[in-house]
Amino acid sequence: MSAQAPRRFTPVSVAGLIVLAGLLVAIPFLTTTTSLRQATQIVVSVLAVLGVNIATGYGGMISLGHGVFVGVGAFATGYYVGDLQLPWLLAIALGAITAGLAGALVGVPALRIRGIHLALVTLGLAIVFRPLSKRFPSITGGVSGRSIDARFDAPGWWPSDGRMASSVYRYVFCVLIVVLVLWATWNLVNSRFGRSMRALRDNHMAAAIYGIDLVAARVTTFAISAGIAGLCGALQVLLVPFVSQDKYPAQESLVIYASAVIGGLGTIWGSVLGVLARTVLGKAGSALAGYDGLGPLGEFFDLLDESAFVFGVGLIILTFLFPRGLAGLGRKNQVPK
Amino acid sequence: MDLVLLLQRIFDALFNSAIYSSLALALVIIFRSTGLLNFAQGEMATFTAYIAFVLLAGPQPRLTGGGLAGLIPGVPFSIPLAIFGAVLCGMAAGAMTERALIRPLGGASDVALVNITIGLLLATNSLMAQWWGTGPRFFPAIFPTGAGQHFTILGARLRYSTVGVWVILLSALILLVLLLRHTKTGLAFRAVSISPSNAELVGVRVGPTLMYGWAMASGFGALAACLSANSVLLEPNMMLRVLVYAFAAATLGGLDSPKGALLGGLIIGLSQTLIPAYVPFIGFELSVLPALVAMVVILLIRPAGLFGTQRIERI
Repeated sequence: MSAQAPRRFTPVSVAGLIVLAGLLVAIPFLTTTTSLRQATQIVVSVLAVLGVNIATGYGGMISLGHGVFVGVGAFATGYYVGDLQLPWLLAIALGAITAGLAGALVGVPALRIRGIHLALVTLGLAIVFRPLSKRFPSITGGVSGRSIDARFDAPGWWPSDGRMASSVYRYVFCVLIVVLVLWATWNLVNSRFGRSMRALRDNHMAAAIYGIDLVAARVTTFAISAGIAGLCGALQVLLVPFVSQDKYPAQESLVIYASAVIGGLGTIWGSVLGVLARTVLGKAGSALAGYDGLGPLGEFFDLLDESAFVFGVGLIILTFLFPRGLAGLGRKNQVPK
Repeated sequence: MDLVLLLQRIFDALFNSAIYSSLALALVIIFRSTGLLNFAQGEMATFTAYIAFVLLAGPQPRLTGGGLAGLIPGVPFSIPLAIFGAVLCGMAAGAMTERALIRPLGGASDVALVNITIGLLLATNSLMAQWWGTGPRFFPAIFPTGAGQHFTILGARLRYSTVGVWVILLSALILLVLLLRHTKTGLAFRAVSISPSNAELVGVRVGPTLMYGWAMASGFGALAACLSANSVLLEPNMMLRVLVYAFAAATLGGLDSPKGALLGGLIIGLSQTLIPAYVPFIGFELSVLPALVAMVVILLIRPAGLFGTQRIERI
């Protein structure tokens, strides 16, 4: 994979940025409390996809288990803010760090287990996560989950008020965090560390010869990527103060991975595009499934309601047609190896 | 330690062992020939179990596929016939997967191959949920499973179903070995497994040969799903956990060793029953954790497993 992150903006990416920024500003004015929460959840889910992108796209370590780190982030944040009564900001930061530490633990075997075998281990992790978290009911709420006794409400100085105030506050907070993390990741992958990460991905032998510490680089990469996914989980708790193991089935991890691939591995915008694709496909699918004027064909369109189906098929088609994902559509003949 | 109880647990474990061995064999056959871990193997197998279910239920208008099954003469089938039909369908599906999705990719990267199998897993899983619902369905047992249906050996009960499953698995294995040893296709398959490029040079058509391999593998997968559907109840996620056990079994035995898959399945099946019985924390629900840990440890200290080929990296 020779994904050189372009340092300069192309006209297409500038236009895309402007449209995206306009959309983000417009959303709170156009929505109700419920749909604003859903919009915020979509924005937050960019982080989980970005996490996979860092491990797989930049670090070259296939991870099919990032849903696990989202879950760890959520459970940990719920525990810190609900049981330990820590302030929200601290709880969120600690939640992300906890997920990052879990990621570092997984990163240690990833030193020797590579490629398809790592995919195998992380898939196993994704499958084990639900039964494992049921064994710790005091933190995870066991089978049925538990609500967290804390609310992230708008403070006194917040200008807007009324019913929407706290929803808008949460939205703005989450958007700011996501933008901040995207910017930080952009800088990270273009830093010295980012270059060593990519060198490691493309040829670990050569990277080692050039003096890159393989152990440190791999573990750090995995920890950062898991921490960002954990941040996604932490923000989920902020939006809906309820944690439950059934939000993190193995399929969720796989859909996160699929989003990262569909959006485009090895580009920051790919993560945003992947989430957009997931949202648009999901909405279009349920709209088509609900439309009755299709006659006998209608039964087939019912399938589109399941975004996992659309994503599975999309993943296969994309692998054949656009191996670089949606983010790679505009670029010429750079096929990942 | 109660020895009769221990023996009883071992006997109970043997049933699952057969299932894991069978699915592990499916994984190994494909990995050996294509160098690819088929993450969708479990879902493909579950799909065939649903086919068997439809063949058993016959032409019911409210059941997806029921209308189609009504066109086949003799439906509803008896249990062995339905499973046989499902295994044939599974083999056809496996061959088609190789032809349509794997071969056109050529020697693509790990990421591309993972993408294809993960896409297949997601699509098949939600297809089954959409068509047949997420609720568990009752799948009849092929062997009698009633209270008195067992041999008694040293005070422990060995169920007829356990013996039956092993008989089926071993006969399928013998058939496979005969095919590999005594047919031209088998010879070609062995050649392709050792070296695709050399096989091609001596005139073996690699593509169609791999297709046979996929068909054989999917047959073993289908067998695993149809034989276990009675005890774990038929539902779309049925094989997801079984897949971890099977992967652990295949890793333990060596990912490219059929013999290893058989032994690995045996060991993993035994540990799945024995570890939760003697380590209270694990419990039944978490019995998949030791399998995952075993898999990681093997990959770390001896990636070739018990019987796999040692890979030598040149520096």
